[in-house]
Amino acid sequence: MYPETDGDMSAKIRRLIETIDVANVLTDPLTRSIEDLLRVTAADLNSAEASVLVRDGDEGDLRFLSAIGKVAAQLIDVKVPAGKGIAGFVLSSGQPMAVSNVVEDSTFYAEIDKATGYSTEMILATPLRYEGETIGVLEYINRVGEPPYSAFTPDEMDRAGRFAEAIASLVHAYESAKLLRDLGDRIVEDKEKYDIDDVRSWLADFRGGAEHREMMDLAVMVREIAGRGEAERQMCREMLEAVMRYTDSQTEGSFLGVE
Amino acid sequence: MISAERIEIPTMSDWAGFFRLGDEWRRATGKGVSVAIIDSGIDVLHPDLAGKVESSVEARIENKKVVFDPSDDGDSAGHGTACAGIIAGIAPDAELHSIKVLGAGGLGDGLAFMAGLEWAIKQKYRVVNLSLGTTKPQFFAPLHDLLDRAYQAGCIVVAAANNLPQPSFPSVFSSSLISVIKSEQTDPLNFGFHYGEVIELTAPGVNVRTAWPGGGYRNLTGNSFACPHIVGVIALLLEKHPNLTPFHVKSALHSIAMENLNRAV
Repeated sequence: MYPETDGDMSAKIRRLIETIDVANVLTDPLTRSIEDLLRVTAADLNSAEASVLVRDGDEGDLRFLSAIGKVAAQLIDVKVPAGKGIAGFVLSSGQPMAVSNVVEDSTFYAEIDKATGYSTEMILATPLRYEGETIGVLEYINRVGEPPYSAFTPDEMDRAGRFAEAIASLVHAYESAKLLRDLGDRIVEDKEKYDIDDVRSWLADFRGGAEHREMMDLAVMVREIAGRGEAERQMCREMLEAVMRYTDSQTEGSFLGVE
Repeated sequence: MISAERIEIPTMSDWAGFFRLGDEWRRATGKGVSVAIIDSGIDVLHPDLAGKVESSVEARIENKKVVFDPSDDGDSAGHGTACAGIIAGIAPDAELHSIKVLGAGGLGDGLAFMAGLEWAIKQKYRVVNLSLGTTKPQFFAPLHDLLDRAYQAGCIVVAAANNLPQPSFPSVFSSSLISVIKSEQTDPLNFGFHYGEVIELTAPGVNVRTAWPGGGYRNLTGNSFACPHIVGVIALLLEKHPNLTPFHVKSALHSIAMENLNRAV
């Protein structure tokens, strides 16, 4: 094998940069789609704020991935230690729950509120599940308007559970895309260790997978529609809910699929 | 082939001479009945719970196995304290035992509560509050085995439904445990029973005011909080009828729920 020339290396780095750009193109629309879905579903639940927390490491810690509302920007990347607060419990137990008068809490939410200047009074938290794994937590905070707020109803909890199904798919897609982006970043940092052509070929195979392509198409389509205006968002939501009702009705009865 | 029609279950009066509950249990306090709460721990200093928690243990991993140590770590999430507060409100003299399986890092959800359940069975606690569940299919068979062991040991396991689109284990099992879903009822003794549904019992679980770590209270909604209501009722039943088996208890709950329904009509 001939020693690598400067020209070879610069060509490889150029190709690598293209790869990383593609990975960023993958994550950005997903982030926006998650935010759009948070906005649409929070409006449906008459909730002022909403956020998505995802697993951070293997120890049960959480991190804010996405948020909408007054203090959204301050929440992104804030970490929640394992088992702490309502989100920590929902992640580890897999059980949805709603809590009122959180404002009296002297523990976790007081710390977050102190940092953001917000006043968390009530929370509806439900697990985000993908293929049986709990990958994060979906939270809705407070009502629109001024307190006192009416408590979240059982029907709203059920609706939040269905919203979580849709959002979990996008969060999973985002996390997968982020893995690719992070891999690209690591290659840049340690370029001698990797054969870039192999990485490119692996990425091409992965993205070429039918399931991944369809999921990306769907995510991009939802984002497109949501960006066209309130009427379009409303129609999109109704159609998605109709699909959910249809699939729910198809799975009623035996969950094992036994007639 | 099994008929799709529901089987008619006898009501309380049909059991006369065979299974007579009477009304004394309604005045019971759960005295002498051990109740395990597999959850996030319990704040034993809360005014509603002081002196009621007989033991507290906490799960940790050692050599890839889950072991339990005595714990004075309290409750980091609030959920276990909330469940204990509901049980103590209905059965104030029940002996509560905290089995903390949530909150410790590195414990998978299904593995942690399966170990907690096994611990509760070994300690021969009479009633187990399991406001937890898992949707991972790999836990279906081992949980089924464990629930059968509990049933054979006379340990009455009460589980919360998860009320999400995917089925959650063990609440979807029907034979060896009692599963509960929330209702908007507020009277803990006025629960419902829906034979033939996947989740048979309904109990208060909407905007329930209960204990929270630090001495305060919260209003909570979720199936998690319906489950301890039924646990409390079972503690009352067991004080007056200590020899009831798990299937007796389920039949008794059915009979009481039918009486509740008749009273409402």
